Amino acid sequence: MATEEYVDAGTAVPYAALSMSAGKAPPVAKGVNFERIRNARDEPHNWLTYYGAYDAQRFSPLDQINASNVGKLKPEWVFQAGNLGLRSGATTYAFEASPLVVDGVMFVSGWDGQCWAIDAANGNELWRYRHASPFDVSLCCGNVNRGVAVAEGKVFMTTLNAHIIALDAETGKKIWDQVYGDVRAGESATVAPLIVKDMVIVGSSGGEFGVRGCHTDAFKLETGERVWRCYMIPKPGEPGSETWPDDGEAWQRGGANCWITPSYDPDLNLLYYGTGNPCPDFDGEVREGDNLFTDSGVAVDADTGKIKSHFQYTPHDLWDYDSTMEHLLFDLDGQKMAAHFDKNGFLYVLDRTDMSPIRVAPFVDRIDWGEVDEKGNVTPLRFPHDEGDPVHFWPGPAGAKEWTHACYSPRTELLYVPVQDVGATATRRRREFKESIPYWGAGVAVDGEDQTGYVSAYDPRTGQERWRWTNDTCMCSSLLATGGDLVFGGEPTGEFNAWDASSGDLLWQFQCGSGHHSSPSSYSIDGKQYIVAPSGWGGWAEGFLPKMLGSSHGSALFAFALPD
Amino acid sequence: MSDTAFDVSSLDKQNGVTLGRVLGRGKVGQAEEGSDGVMRATIRIPEDELVYEPGVLIVPHGGTVELTLINDDKNTHCAVLPSNGDTQFIWLVNHSKGTATLELDGPGYYWYGSTTGNDEGRGLTGAIVVSGNVPSEARLDRPPQPQP
Repeated sequence: MATEEYVDAGTAVPYAALSMSAGKAPPVAKGVNFERIRNARDEPHNWLTYYGAYDAQRFSPLDQINASNVGKLKPEWVFQAGNLGLRSGATTYAFEASPLVVDGVMFVSGWDGQCWAIDAANGNELWRYRHASPFDVSLCCGNVNRGVAVAEGKVFMTTLNAHIIALDAETGKKIWDQVYGDVRAGESATVAPLIVKDMVIVGSSGGEFGVRGCHTDAFKLETGERVWRCYMIPKPGEPGSETWPDDGEAWQRGGANCWITPSYDPDLNLLYYGTGNPCPDFDGEVREGDNLFTDSGVAVDADTGKIKSHFQYTPHDLWDYDSTMEHLLFDLDGQKMAAHFDKNGFLYVLDRTDMSPIRVAPFVDRIDWGEVDEKGNVTPLRFPHDEGDPVHFWPGPAGAKEWTHACYSPRTELLYVPVQDVGATATRRRREFKESIPYWGAGVAVDGEDQTGYVSAYDPRTGQERWRWTNDTCMCSSLLATGGDLVFGGEPTGEFNAWDASSGDLLWQFQCGSGHHSSPSSYSIDGKQYIVAPSGWGGWAEGFLPKMLGSSHGSALFAFALPD
Repeated sequence: MSDTAFDVSSLDKQNGVTLGRVLGRGKVGQAEEGSDGVMRATIRIPEDELVYEPGVLIVPHGGTVELTLINDDKNTHCAVLPSNGDTQFIWLVNHSKGTATLELDGPGYYWYGSTTGNDEGRGLTGAIVVSGNVPSEARLDRPPQPQP
């Protein structure tokens, strides 16, 4: 070892200090509160919350871009997120977020604990935050994050190791940090938080690891103090516990995670959750019964976290048919409706006051796992049963629709859905439960070549398909409806598309260079409308589109606008 | 596959079986927790070894970790280190010494590395292992479960 005095290398500095990151954003988030989010559509230049508004319609009233001029749409700027070093789920990262915009400032999360404030007019980075994610955290489905929430001068984000953190919206510095999941039990977090009143609400991931989920947790947004926790699997003696074996341990490992942001009806004060699959996914013999509240739409009182009503889409699931996907809220003909496209291939239109079904209709061509009648009663037909016996079924575990979101236009009164028509073969392979180890109970292979996809428009009054645009691969990006009577969404092969909301005609397309598995949003600055789309293929592509598993990963955010 | 015993040390050196040093080598060390709650350790880069020593640093729980980084090599390296807030960077010229203060959650482990040239591929990657458990209020309300 050398004996002469060492050269002083100083102190390590934040990586952002070695970039052109401004380190400061204007104080736009200070005035964002519950009332503004509740009336989000009154300020269409912003995208204030995950779905754009509490109703999860993913509808922007902005109409500058319309069918007559969308052909002129061009990229205004691109933000490249990039990658750094070794990270958890190193090759599974994907850009799955929905960008929020508050008065010209964009707040968006990436994979691996990343969050940015970006000048929404030009794509320049204003600040960044990066939460260090353990390399060995359990991830069923990739290193992803679906977005942030903004309120009261703060940005809220979940982390892979199941923390909810509050950042200063002007600087990106952390204000508070709460742990709400147990990484040793296989829990993680990818959900975009939701602000309701003075609370920030989150859910957990880990349904493939036999956790007792979902717990959804509410915290005071100012302090991080816990307000309530709601489990979606009852303990023995609680309502719904009769749907689990009464002499077993199945409820303790039953899954039902809420890894997608709920919608919210402020008048009813109800949160609408979709819950995940039961665990083990494909081995039902160890969990006889309907297994409430897995695979359900669940209405939860926002003040208390108590379950008020539910509807179970796939009782005693044997196909991995999570129902975590959104419930779109709208009123038609005097009825308070909630629409849900389930992985099991059926569209459910519910009365959201009590979650009773109004109508049920298929939305994908190939369904053979079972039959569902007009009231949602299920007759299972094909499912893994005998040990070692392969069973093929449609839709596969990816579902006829992935977590990516449908949208609803109050102008056309139509629902728009991205559809995956792909099956899979599951072979039951029983295994004993061990904490933190995947607990599927089967080997699964998703069809590689025999798959297709489409974007469809559905009439919630009838459950009938009004138009369909067919693709040669599954469609698995969220859709966005606009006041310009357009529907936007991306393809797995990188194209970002605009369709006519009334006819389904493809009007415009731009190749972003990597597939879309995210949620585009819209905003305006000084009267100029933008459409912003994260492009970055990845995640658990082996589960929904194995044919595209080798496609290039990307890490870019594209903002499109009309020429000045 | 042959079951002939292989000398692992030939993988744990530069220009041995392969070009650099395979991942995950180096010794295992432990940080010491001070009365202020800060966990401290010294990490060195020995001459011509292209490895951080210790290669695996174990800290008892999540919190503040203060590293003293010493480059005893006759080439320049750096360290890009994980920390809540932002990745931390320190340039380590030949025969230099510096510090890095990190905020890390536990439990779990984190990689860091020298990002100049292909130092990472040659062996200059290390791991910080954070022991412990999450707080009781974050755990699942269920009886103890079977472990792997």
